[in-house]
Amino acid sequence: MTFAERMLRIDRRIIFLLIGLSTLLPLLYPVGLAIKISPEVRGVHGYIESLPEGSVFLLSLDFDPASKPELYPQAVALLRHAFEKNLRVIGMTLWLPGTGMADQVITQVARERGKVNGKDYVFLGWSPGGSSVIINMGQDLYKAFPSDYYNQPTKELAALNGVRSLRDVNYVVSLAAGTTGIETWYVFGKDKYKFELGGGCTGVIAPGLYPLLRSGQINGLIGGLRGAAEYEVLIGQKGRAVAGMDAQSATHFAIIALVILCNVFYLFIRTSRGQTGQRS
Amino acid sequence: MIFLRRQLPLLITFVTGLLFATQYYVPHPASERMLTEVTKWLQIIGGFALVLGVTSLFHLHAVKIRRKEPGWGYSFVLYAVMLGTIAVGLWVNGKETVNGTATAFGWIYSNVMVPLQGTMFAILAFFIASAAYRSFRARSREAAVLLLAAVVVMMGRVPLGEYLVPLSGDITQWILNVLNASVRRAIYIGVSLGAVALSLKIIFGIERAYLGGGKE
Repeated sequence: MTFAERMLRIDRRIIFLLIGLSTLLPLLYPVGLAIKISPEVRGVHGYIESLPEGSVFLLSLDFDPASKPELYPQAVALLRHAFEKNLRVIGMTLWLPGTGMADQVITQVARERGKVNGKDYVFLGWSPGGSSVIINMGQDLYKAFPSDYYNQPTKELAALNGVRSLRDVNYVVSLAAGTTGIETWYVFGKDKYKFELGGGCTGVIAPGLYPLLRSGQINGLIGGLRGAAEYEVLIGQKGRAVAGMDAQSATHFAIIALVILCNVFYLFIRTSRGQTGQRS
Repeated sequence: MIFLRRQLPLLITFVTGLLFATQYYVPHPASERMLTEVTKWLQIIGGFALVLGVTSLFHLHAVKIRRKEPGWGYSFVLYAVMLGTIAVGLWVNGKETVNGTATAFGWIYSNVMVPLQGTMFAILAFFIASAAYRSFRARSREAAVLLLAAVVVMMGRVPLGEYLVPLSGDITQWILNVLNASVRRAIYIGVSLGAVALSLKIIFGIERAYLGGGKE
């Protein structure tokens, strides 16, 4: 077995160690490289920035704990921005396993900004049905959610004054890890009830949402941890996402190096086999 | 019996299919009221689907435990944890927090479910790196193009890549906005046309697989 062949069959634990170190070391010794803002993220930020005080902002946290590292920082940054602009925030989720986490992030950021539940924000929780919940909210929000997550009757909540359905919501952002998510909010929500829609998603599903972005079906897209980091930079409050960017840089470069190495060895083997074949 | 099993479901599908396809274009209050009512039914049916899913999971793992099939121990753990979580959840009325303090149910959620799901997802990064090293090779011209695009996008999506090669960010944006978006759009249009065709086939009773097999 040649050196190149041996290298191609390298023990995968060595690769695991390399990836582990690429993640860990930048977290321990951050570099803090500049983060360039993309137009997609600027779209969401700019729209929230343009909303007058008291406007209704609905944040649908459509993800489960598996996507927490990417989408939780997005939720924190969006909520901080919305509360800073004194928007009335409606929180909810279409993913049952994400309910506790959604409640946690809204409560945590609201407490940090001194906002009162029921007056400045409301957390509706989860309701079964996925797309049907969106249609139902579009028809009559109080029938879809007669009470909020804390069993308070939604009709009596000051935060929902003048909000009868999705038609009265100024901006909806869905933070999604798959379906049910941004596409569902567009097809069953925005298309019929005519509110403005933005999105946030995991890095894996972001490329699939670009057609919606290009056609104006969503007005902005926060993609993965990078998107969250860009948003943190935009609101001037660097958090977990910015801290994670160095680790992501190092990991991406480790994978690029591995792919290049594997191709060098592969080409070397192919060339030497070709030469052997010619000689015989 | 054939009427109940075949003709009636076909008739319901035909009438409701046409009715709700038309409803979208009729903004009359009566039409909107009908939609409100029906979506409420859908939400209730969605709730039942959850019960059905849990019941089916219980049944599947009960059989495994009874027959002592390979790996039945895992089924036992699943049973114990699921029953325990349901019991704790019912005890605290399904609330993770009460007045800002975590309940036992909230503790299970934050300290068991969240880290376990996070770990499962994080492990992917290690396996993807290992798989990329073993299989991401330029075996053909097409594979080489894919490889090059992947390297550029990976560079352009992180600050270090943009710092070392400032153009990588713009090229990545172009790949995502032009090449990726146009191909994805073509796929979406194809899938949507397929969905419309399948819906029409179901509404007009040509596609009957949803009725299930069985004797007539």
